[in-house]
Amino acid sequence: MGNFFTNPLISKELRERFRTPKTSWTVGLYLFVCGAIIIGFMKIIANEQTDLLGSGDRLLVIMAAVHYALICFIAPALAAGAISGERERQTLNILLTTHLSPRRIVLSKMLTSILFMFLLLIASMPLYSFIFLYGGVAPMQLVKLFLFFTVNIIFFGSLGIFCSTWIKRTSISTITAYGIGFFFVVGTGVILFFLMNFITYWITDTRMTPMDYPILEWIASINPCIVGLNILEKNLMGESWTIFSQYYWIIFTAFYLVLSVILLCLAAYILKPVRRPWSE
Amino acid sequence: MIQTHDLTKRYGKFEALNSVNLSIEKGKVYGFIGPNGAGKTTTMMILSTLLSASSGKAYVGGYDVEKEPKDVRHILGYMPDFFGVYDNLKATEYLDFYASAYNIPQKNRSALIADLLELVNLSNKADSYVDHLSRGMKQRLGLARCLVHSPEVLILDEPASGLDPRARIEMREILKKLQGLGKTILISSHILPELAELCDEIGVIEKGRLIASGSVPEVSVDTRGISIMQVKVIGREEVAEQILSSDPLVRRVDNKGNHFRFHYIGSPEEKVYLLQKLIAAEVPVTHFADSQENLEDVFLAITEGVGN
Ligand SMILES: Nc1ncnc2c1ncn2[C@@H]1O[C@H](COP(=O)(O)OP(=O)(O)O)[C@@H](O)[C@H]1O
Ligand SMILES: [Mg+2]
Repeated sequence: MGNFFTNPLISKELRERFRTPKTSWTVGLYLFVCGAIIIGFMKIIANEQTDLLGSGDRLLVIMAAVHYALICFIAPALAAGAISGERERQTLNILLTTHLSPRRIVLSKMLTSILFMFLLLIASMPLYSFIFLYGGVAPMQLVKLFLFFTVNIIFFGSLGIFCSTWIKRTSISTITAYGIGFFFVVGTGVILFFLMNFITYWITDTRMTPMDYPILEWIASINPCIVGLNILEKNLMGESWTIFSQYYWIIFTAFYLVLSVILLCLAAYILKPVRRPWSE
Repeated sequence: MIQTHDLTKRYGKFEALNSVNLSIEKGKVYGFIGPNGAGKTTTMMILSTLLSASSGKAYVGGYDVEKEPKDVRHILGYMPDFFGVYDNLKATEYLDFYASAYNIPQKNRSALIADLLELVNLSNKADSYVDHLSRGMKQRLGLARCLVHSPEVLILDEPASGLDPRARIEMREILKKLQGLGKTILISSHILPELAELCDEIGVIEKGRLIASGSVPEVSVDTRGISIMQVKVIGREEVAEQILSSDPLVRRVDNKGNHFRFHYIGSPEEKVYLLQKLIAAEVPVTHFADSQENLEDVFLAITEGVGN
């Protein structure tokens, strides 16, 4: 990767990004949305409950959900234009004739895309201090939650970069990245739902819950919504959706990080103008 | 410096390049001429390691473009026919970015960039944002960009297209400077006069085939035995036109009042006979000569009948 700050693409990209007013608008809007939701929620709690203490966990669920939704929308979009944007601006070919290797181009693009996402995440961290104001949340839970966000950002970033390399136009690559992202976030949940019903229908052994079947547990462990709710210890979807294994988040992290690496390698391969798989 | 052997490129069934054999010596400026869609860009992209050929070989500086692309990129500067610049970057930052992309040490860059901007007459625009420059300036900045790693070979795809006459002249002056620096340059154009005085050799490409290659006079006379002639008279224009039009060796008479241009496919002896005929008819001829200053004519003559 080379030295981070002397990496030409990264410094160019940061310069480009932080000189446009669009960037400050994005950060501002993002913080505004997060803040508005929290204040709205605090009003609701204040209205229905006299005792505010201990309701920090409810606030955390709302905030995490909002955050996660924003990551799902912003991260793929940021990355999905990274390579196709260069192609559309007709700067990609020039870039490919320099000494920057396709692998380095892909990695730098990935880094700058997720860097911006992390900036958003860190900028909104002070909002989480409200949660401690209300109490009821363990710090370890927050750490796990941020780890969870990080894995998601990396995955959506790699997915966006891959689509951006694979598909010529930014608009179509963004839609494709959203589509594939949707499959992992919602699609795996739907598959799990059908499999669960299928199993409870055919197997009458009542001592077994669906999560006793490894395959279901695995699918559950790669569905970000279920994993997220498990981290927050909220069973919004009923007992049967709770994963009992302690290692679900390791499965989740490993699965998405490996997938991200594969996507980035594929992207670097596709980007290579003259492909010669048998050498180098 | 640049060589291709039977270079062929197919897009599906369509043959964009058909057995092109180029050979350009070190320090020469080679003009690559052909109408739109002839295959100039395709050839240049293969040479710049951006496209793989369907068959055939291509070498730049002795390196195989397919097997040793990194070595080729070291010695090659490529300027595409259309290219964009980044928003929110100043001219110096733009060049600095590419200099760092070519691993040029930071401490050498500012002097290098100043020199390059000087070379392309953009010193006064050093701190302007590149997306605000005019097309001619962007084009010159692009040329400076492909010089950052001081490549020996330059491949310039239609560097003057879309420029106004003044910008074109400026571009030509810069190219002459580069020629003076001993760079080997492959430059393409679909407009010939642009390249006329600049090129040591030209190659004419049409429908993916290199149909002529060599020095300008060689190409014009030798390849097809066609020469372009100019005749000027100061009277009896109708008689002159009638004689020219009825001569079986004369083609495509272009009558501009008292100034005729035409293709002549005869031998020098037959040319003498043509002149004698004009004089015998008492046409006051002031000029009777081969025209070589206009490459457009050469091009028309050479491509005549190709592909029909
Ligand atoms: N990616 C492509 N797919 C199919 N045909 C192409 C592609 N690129 C170029 N061509 C065709 O190849 C021919 C040569 O194109 P090009 O090299 O760009 O011509 P020139 O630069 O001389 O104008 C054209 O007929 C063009 O339509
Ligand atoms: Mg072209």
